[in-house]
Amino acid sequence: MYIQALSGDAGFLERLARANFSGTVHSIFERTINLKCSENGELYTIGNHQLDNAPNTLIINVKGFSELGLSVNAPVITKEDSSLVMGANIRIWTQQATKWEGELPSYPCDIEGVDILRRNVAFTKNYVDVYGKTGGMKMSSQPANPFEKEMSRMLIQRAGMLSDDLANKRIESATQHAISLIGLGPGLTPSGDDFLVGLCSVYKMQNISSCLSCPFFDEIVRSSQALTNEISAITLKKAAHGQVRESLNDLLSCMVSGSTEELVPVLDKIIGIGSSSGTDILLGILCGLERNLEAGGNVCLPKS
Amino acid sequence: MSTKVVIKQSTYFDSVSLMSLSTKANQIEGVEQAVIAMGTDMNKEVLKNVGLLTPELEAAKTSDLMIVVKAATDELCESALIAIEELFKKKGGSKSATEIKYSTIDSAAASIPEANLAVISVNGAFAAREARKALENDLHVMLFSDNVSIEEEIALKQFAHEKGLLMMGPDCGTAIIGNVALCFGNAVRKGNIGIVGASGTGSQEVSVRIHDFGGGITQLIGTGGRDLSEQVGGIMMLDGIKALEEDEATKVIVLISKPPAPSVQEKVLAQVKSCKKPVVVYFIGGEETAVLEAGGHFAKTSKEAAIKAVVLAGANEDELNKRALNWPLIEEVRAKLSPEQKYIRGLFCGGTLCDEAMYLAMDKYEDVYSNIQKKADYKLKNIHESKAHTFLDMGDDDFTNGKPHPMIDPSTRIARFLEEAKDPSVGVILMDFILGFGSHEDPVGVMLPAIIEAKAQAAKEGRHLEILGYVLGTDLDTPNFDEQVKKLMDAGVTIASSSTNAGLLAREFVAKGE
Repeated sequence: MYIQALSGDAGFLERLARANFSGTVHSIFERTINLKCSENGELYTIGNHQLDNAPNTLIINVKGFSELGLSVNAPVITKEDSSLVMGANIRIWTQQATKWEGELPSYPCDIEGVDILRRNVAFTKNYVDVYGKTGGMKMSSQPANPFEKEMSRMLIQRAGMLSDDLANKRIESATQHAISLIGLGPGLTPSGDDFLVGLCSVYKMQNISSCLSCPFFDEIVRSSQALTNEISAITLKKAAHGQVRESLNDLLSCMVSGSTEELVPVLDKIIGIGSSSGTDILLGILCGLERNLEAGGNVCLPKS
Repeated sequence: MSTKVVIKQSTYFDSVSLMSLSTKANQIEGVEQAVIAMGTDMNKEVLKNVGLLTPELEAAKTSDLMIVVKAATDELCESALIAIEELFKKKGGSKSATEIKYSTIDSAAASIPEANLAVISVNGAFAAREARKALENDLHVMLFSDNVSIEEEIALKQFAHEKGLLMMGPDCGTAIIGNVALCFGNAVRKGNIGIVGASGTGSQEVSVRIHDFGGGITQLIGTGGRDLSEQVGGIMMLDGIKALEEDEATKVIVLISKPPAPSVQEKVLAQVKSCKKPVVVYFIGGEETAVLEAGGHFAKTSKEAAIKAVVLAGANEDELNKRALNWPLIEEVRAKLSPEQKYIRGLFCGGTLCDEAMYLAMDKYEDVYSNIQKKADYKLKNIHESKAHTFLDMGDDDFTNGKPHPMIDPSTRIARFLEEAKDPSVGVILMDFILGFGSHEDPVGVMLPAIIEAKAQAAKEGRHLEILGYVLGTDLDTPNFDEQVKKLMDAGVTIASSSTNAGLLAREFVAKGE
């Protein structure tokens, strides 16, 4: 079977163009397949046409993957014409795929821009309050069982402590509280991981007003290897390097310069991610942006 | 108390599936607590805090899936684990051992030569190819899959037409063939009325009403939602009418659809005119004149369609309990609502049920908004925000993209319901509860906590919140119709006896100054 790739992460496409990718099928879902690369040990994703671009991801023109007849551990190789062959007979053509390079927007550096951001943060907080999904960082008014209740309590408590540390510049303690969130939560990507993805995406914005030092992010990447599953760990790793999915870039761009009307469909798209994942990511973003708004002007860059 | 644990090594399920499995596992009878989560250290810490951590769970890896069940006895735990395993099998698409599995339609057709119908539900990319194979094997087709191009649909329907076969679909969710409901459908009596429907829940509603009025169904032929478009030209509806006309058991034919494209309506009504059997035409929101000119029997509502069908099929109209509107009840509800409580909010699983209630409201009010409104000015721009009278088809792509249909997973509707219930301008919230094959096993039960919470909150604020429920189902359906209705009534929900009455009651409850 031949399938056309529609778009893909530029780094992934370049790797395929160099025929520098081989590995195995790691996991199969209805809308994604994860591949484990033998060359660098990282996970790469093949997503269906409903998904947005993301780091290490190729979007292809299929509706779902469960009917393709692929199995976990099936071999994956690249051919010299840059096509990717999965299993016995699925070949993905990548030559026509549009290259995608995600870029986080700049944090506003003038009063007008900060005002827009402040307004959009307030709007987003209300929106998440009303439309955010419960079960993770947002506690349900009727938790299904004591486990879910305790899980939400721990998530909220730990995220709160991390937020306090960031507000008070206690970076060492913030690092420990960030680590305490990794792997905590229901779902394939635990809610704590999702929260940190959102938080990292803010602190990796260009000209962020209250920056965090490299060890904070390095420690998250290092700890995630042991504390969460491979699929979530790679997302966290990329976010810690400032690489997040297209819809998050769009959201942050809209937060810094868009109107509330423009924000609504973007927020809906994020809230639609996973079960509670989108909401958990949004809460991480809100936490990061609020701490930066509180910090006031730019406290990282040398003043001119 | 007993706790049992299963570790599934290196097992990944997407988050939506995991949460859905977890919700269902907690609803298994006898289970005090069920947890399905990845085996991370932090999740183990949570288990420890709630007293569920065992040495076995401590050994789980981050890529393992932990399943923990707590119940009163070992036996209950074991049976719950078996039930959870079944849920995983269903999720993974496993079939029971008693089913015979064929790799291809060709091999199935060769092995069961007496088979004459294929129900196809595969990825849209392969659906047309599989449907063609079935037609080539002389099988009628019900194609549940969507995402089939219109060109492929036309080609398949023309091919089926040439071969004298039925091509139901693509995107056909409801049919009753030989008294067997396929995909979504209700258990209805066998009778002498045949239905051709382009609307899934509309067809379900009319079949259920016919059953309620004492009639029965020969065949319910689905066409798929695009059949009456200009491009497809109503090929399946025309073939469906012809098939029912030739079917000796069928005495009366009912057609159900949203209004067809004008050229298609002309073709359909021409066939109605030449048909030797009486035909009841229910084109939701459609015009009466053309139908009458064609010699058809026009129905404005689903209930009227069912009444006309059973009377034409031989029932004595005077003996029918037509379930007239309960005007004393309407007066009673009006008196309870404050002048500010003037709006209806309809939260529907069934698209046609939403459509019918919306059209009935539009007969009386101007400001009727919906995500499926045909009038551009009244189509909701932000589906998350209701305006004036709002009717939401929550099974529409707007709400289901990437999520299960609300007939299967009600969480989106529950959240929206709780929001609507807080709005002091809301007089009545109208909801459908669809029983039958393919639907949720307890559609009322999952809404009850939210209904009770909303009623209590409104009472605390000194408001009366009128909740109007319609249970689409028959006495033969599972879950039990009467039990579902009783649960709603016990929670203070007013029950409508049909989709039509639901729409009429809702609009009359909020009418002021009459």
